[in-house]
Amino acid sequence: MSAVRGPDDPGAVRRAPGPVLRKGPGPTAWMDVRRGAVGHWAFSLNRVTGLGLVFYLYLHLAVLSMLLRGAGAWHGFLRVATTPAFLGLDVLLIFGLLFHGLNGLRVALVGTGLAANRQRALFWSLMTVGAIALIGAALHLIGSE
Amino acid sequence: MAIPRTPEEPVDTSRPSSWVSTALTGMALLILVTVHMVAHHFVVKEVGGLRTYDQVLAYVSNPLILAIEATFLVVVTWHAMLGLRAVILDLALPARLERLVRPGLTMLGVLTVTYGLVLLGTLASRA
Amino acid sequence: MSATAQTRRFRVYRYAREDGPARFDEFDVPAAEAGTVLEGLRWIEVHGDPSLAIRHSCFHASCGTCGVRVNGREGLACVTPVDTDTVTVEPVANIPVLADLVVDMRAFVDRYPPQHPLLRDSEARPEADVPEGIDAYERFEDCIECGLCLSACPIAATDDRYVGPAALAWAQRVLEEPRGADVDAILAWADDEHGAWQCHAAFQCTEACPSEVFPAQRIMKLRRELTKRRLSGSSPSS
Repeated sequence: MSAVRGPDDPGAVRRAPGPVLRKGPGPTAWMDVRRGAVGHWAFSLNRVTGLGLVFYLYLHLAVLSMLLRGAGAWHGFLRVATTPAFLGLDVLLIFGLLFHGLNGLRVALVGTGLAANRQRALFWSLMTVGAIALIGAALHLIGSE
Repeated sequence: MAIPRTPEEPVDTSRPSSWVSTALTGMALLILVTVHMVAHHFVVKEVGGLRTYDQVLAYVSNPLILAIEATFLVVVTWHAMLGLRAVILDLALPARLERLVRPGLTMLGVLTVTYGLVLLGTLASRA
Repeated sequence: MSATAQTRRFRVYRYAREDGPARFDEFDVPAAEAGTVLEGLRWIEVHGDPSLAIRHSCFHASCGTCGVRVNGREGLACVTPVDTDTVTVEPVANIPVLADLVVDMRAFVDRYPPQHPLLRDSEARPEADVPEGIDAYERFEDCIECGLCLSACPIAATDDRYVGPAALAWAQRVLEEPRGADVDAILAWADDEHGAWQCHAAFQCTEACPSEVFPAQRIMKLRRELTKRRLSGSSPSS
């Protein structure tokens, strides 16, 4: 009989494991981008923009509900919505949509193994497209004032 | 040992098909969101491309536009619920809460789409 | 007293069950003795605190035993250079700590499916000539099971049910080179909400891997295979 005892040996004393270290409390662990790699930035920002856009979906439905109250209510909203600050928020929205959409395209391609070895290049090229679109959109919105 | 769920506790097992649905709705949204944003911010000459009340009513009274916006609403809500589900399930909630995620988000999605469609229909009928 | 030009300040995570909550102990290690993090830790064992629990073996990034986090980043202590005045050394994340920098690797190993063998015969012989028509041999078993990928994974940070990059990368390697393994059973294991589909493509595992396993890329290739099988109706889970 072997003198060596393994951890499953009935006579073995098994220590209870200690703490499990995480990168941060709860979902903040998703945001630890200290390594600075593109993939993690993309993942973290995808989550942030996704959650932001879900919030925006309901905000948007609430705002559109003003239309039910007639022209007066809607035009009251338009007075606020056409201020520079609000147009700035529109630019932020477009950033969120562009980032989430284009990175989502990357996730779909990479996630089915089609572009797994080119994920960084794909990220930067899609973000370049997004940046151009964002600048164009911002100039148009600001120029419309 | 990895901290496992006890075997008897049911978990949501539809993540594989959910991922595919998220990807497919996402692809559709690349087009639908672009159409929606261009239509609502880059067509009309007003500030920010935002339509006045009468312009909104005229816009949604077009059956094709109504169909596109309704489709957009359904697809974006579907994608949003799938995304929320993925994020929530990654939090590894207790099983009794996790069991509520799928029915809860399904209900939220149905309510959202219903409200949006009623809103669209009401506005279209006012034109 | 802070680190000087001749010393490096090591902030080392300390935990022992009988000593209560975890803490950080600080040691000033002579710079000449701290070329790598492991050298510094061994100096601390000898000259600082002999009760410091560390794990290491080969000293050349081959055994995967000395995985730690240095200033928040995963790395093998034996080859991680000390290039800052203050070095914070912690155990890897997402795996229970046994003591100090030593984690319970059973939590890592238990994520593999039952089909994972403990030992596999290696067919590579260093003295073998490469036959005509073949450019080079490619090592498939680069994984040294260090656990750094699991530590780096943001999903493993919140969900311990996720099997993790190492186990999934292993499953993909089995696809490439089955060697008689039950491929369908392994794919069925991977085709799961806590298997390949819980990866969200953060690619941190590939960034952290010291051994060029490219686990993230392997997970994506695994998903491609799973998707193909689902679409063709021969899904291992169906």
